[in-house]
Amino acid sequence: MAAEELPSEFDVVILGTGLAESVVAAAFSRVGQRVLHLDRRSYYAGNWASFTFNALLTWIQEHHEESQPEEVQDWSSLLEEGEELIYLSTRGSSSITNLQVFCYASEEDEEEEAPNTTEEDQGGDDEVKETPETESADSNEEEKKQKAGGTPAEEEEEQASQTEGEEPTTSAGQSQSEPTRKKISFAQLVKEGRRFNIDLVSKLMYSRGSLVDLLIKSNVSRYAEFKNVTRILTYRDGKVEQVPCSRADVFASRQLSVVEKRKLMRFLTSCVEETEEQRAYNGRPYLEFLCDQKLGDNLQHFLLHSIAMVTEDTPTEEGLASTRHFLRCLGRYGNTPFLFPVYGLGEIPQCFCRMCAVFGGIYCLRHSVSCLLLDKDTNRCKAVIDSRGQRISCSHFVVEDGFIGADWKREATPTRYLSRAVLITDSSILPSDSDQQVSMVTVPPIAAGCPAVKMVELCPSTMTCMPGTYLVHLTCQSAGSAYQDLSPVVTRMFRTPESHDQESSPTVLWCLYFNMADGSGLEGEGHDLPNNVFLCSGPDAGLGHEHAVRQAQAIFQKILPEEEFCPPAPNPEDIVYDGDNNSPSTPGDGETLEGEEEETPEGEEKVEGEEKEEKVEGEVAKEEKVEGEVEKEEKVEGEVEKEEQSLQTEE
Amino acid sequence: MAIRELKVCLLGDTGVGKSSIVCRFVQDHFDHNISPTIGASFLTKTVPSGNELHKFLIWDTAGQERFHSLAPMYYRGSAAAVIVYDITKLDSFQTLKKWVKELKEHGPEDIVVAIAGNKNDLGDIREVPMKEAKEFAESIAAVFIETSARNAVNVEELFQKISKQIPPLENPEVESNESFKLTRQPAASARRCC
Repeated sequence: MAAEELPSEFDVVILGTGLAESVVAAAFSRVGQRVLHLDRRSYYAGNWASFTFNALLTWIQEHHEESQPEEVQDWSSLLEEGEELIYLSTRGSSSITNLQVFCYASEEDEEEEAPNTTEEDQGGDDEVKETPETESADSNEEEKKQKAGGTPAEEEEEQASQTEGEEPTTSAGQSQSEPTRKKISFAQLVKEGRRFNIDLVSKLMYSRGSLVDLLIKSNVSRYAEFKNVTRILTYRDGKVEQVPCSRADVFASRQLSVVEKRKLMRFLTSCVEETEEQRAYNGRPYLEFLCDQKLGDNLQHFLLHSIAMVTEDTPTEEGLASTRHFLRCLGRYGNTPFLFPVYGLGEIPQCFCRMCAVFGGIYCLRHSVSCLLLDKDTNRCKAVIDSRGQRISCSHFVVEDGFIGADWKREATPTRYLSRAVLITDSSILPSDSDQQVSMVTVPPIAAGCPAVKMVELCPSTMTCMPGTYLVHLTCQSAGSAYQDLSPVVTRMFRTPESHDQESSPTVLWCLYFNMADGSGLEGEGHDLPNNVFLCSGPDAGLGHEHAVRQAQAIFQKILPEEEFCPPAPNPEDIVYDGDNNSPSTPGDGETLEGEEEETPEGEEKVEGEEKEEKVEGEVAKEEKVEGEVEKEEKVEGEVEKEEQSLQTEE
Repeated sequence: MAIRELKVCLLGDTGVGKSSIVCRFVQDHFDHNISPTIGASFLTKTVPSGNELHKFLIWDTAGQERFHSLAPMYYRGSAAAVIVYDITKLDSFQTLKKWVKELKEHGPEDIVVAIAGNKNDLGDIREVPMKEAKEFAESIAAVFIETSARNAVNVEELFQKISKQIPPLENPEVESNESFKLTRQPAASARRCC
């Protein structure tokens, strides 16, 4: 079974399983195209992936090793007359750079923290020094995984070697002020590693953004569950504060005076529609507009940094547009505009891949494309040769841009990068009654010339970190390396060996810094490849997913302009097999199923009806039916809550 | 009666009859390849169990197992997994261990595991002794049953056994855990006031 051959003819071959590629795959498969979806990696979602703690350590290690270029095999023997070969880049991972890992947790469980080292001066060479420790942590991890709880002696030895490169470790525990809380060790992080789902990108889903719309429209949303981001926070004057954004928040806020509350409500109501007054500020900074509204410092900060999430020199029209988008997204599901998928963002590309597979798409990880076969006459890619030398013909080829050598791309501009940090901490940045908050934190530039940082803090119930920890993602446009850009923010807001007077801040147990290429520069046609080859870029700096969804839709419409993009997949209850034998087989079932059978006539139409029909009538029928469904669901206990959620907020 | 939705994921090599088992269970049909054009995301069937109703949402691999490319999301939130092998193919039994391991790695910790030896109507060309399979199942505390999707043997029983293994809902609040599915929200009906 190991070396089963792939079929040799497809409509579309897709290489890379990032978000855009996966949406494209689902879209094609859904309308009956034969899709082959490959990824060179052993995991789904490329730079959009989420990893368990252990898998992340492996990923880090792989990126350290890197750079033994794969042998380029010569496939010219497979050429037929009138064909030409285009070799793809064998490794598409130059998109990740400047990886640095710091472990501040103690290495073993019961160990007493002997305060033997004090804080170190953080010098430039520190970074260099720290890097090797990553490898030791990894190899440590690797072995552990392989021998699954192997000899303790060996582990200890490795742990020890890790400590050497890492004196700060001990000082982290030294200042522990709450003796009641049990400290989490590195060994525990590894042991509970599978409870982590650590995203390489940090984004949120706007509740009325294009990704949420697409998930719902296509029914791909069935494959995942979501949580509300429960609060918006901001960092201001050395403190973390909650930003009141919904009506309820504003009224409940204890930080705002009555006058401020009134002003804020008036402002939020007034900016929903464009006014003459607003237009007068076009081209001038949003900050200026806000100043002139005489809102006061508090409100101005909230509106600029946390609601519009723009910088001080962003033009007014842009600032207002993002303010409106924010407000539109409020209250659809919760008190903030954002959703987060349970188990992490890496689930989303996988969900689209499943939709593709359900409609017949073929999936193969650890499998790549070595080269494209170009028809000289038509200048079209007519086939690809996979990494095993199999010739697979296709009408279109979609590929993650990392696989395309730089010489094929038109833009001369140097690649921009994002700076990322991932922290595992021991408590929330703003403790509250509930320990299950999901927080979006905006951190305005902490000094002139520093980037604005977006931070997302995830609690264990998002299934992205182990109980007793929080997972914190930091992202900004890079000015320098991720460490240079983000460590000042980390040092100020969290307790690390380098921080001062942070007694009450969360302690960082482990953290990772890296830079990732910013995918927002790439447009689908910025290359000199054949015109049936389409590029998908990696993650961009935006908070939402608009870029990737737009890109996927553009590719789909370019190739199949007549077809609908991701029409709804039929509801499982509606699928009816022709044949008479549809009766429930145990007596008890009859009753319970009845409620659902009501909908079968419609279902039949949906499954067997033609696509076209579905588009027009099916839509309407669906809407109606959903209403019915909703009502029915009211009776189902688990679902009521969801209903209520939308109720509360839709007021 | 309270309806409880239970996700069940199917595992096992290509061709052992995973889809046939679901098809028999849900539609009481055999010989009906679930055509990919229908796009069955999962199939559902509700059965009574004690004083609850169990609505099984049965997920098929959708062929992603064929080239060893099942996504971790496939296992998320599964209450049970059915690992299917073909009693006439020793290979498919040997890879069972691989699937168990995969499940341990990616599946939820408290997942109910069931092992189904399918095609037991083909006893004359059997390669996997029932005893051996049963012992293996016991060693990993899994439900075990031999089935024939073709002759409708033990398919109902398989799911009944799973139902019995599902622990009763202790704390509904923990279960719902505030995460939710996104559904089409008809603009008007969202206001469900009085």
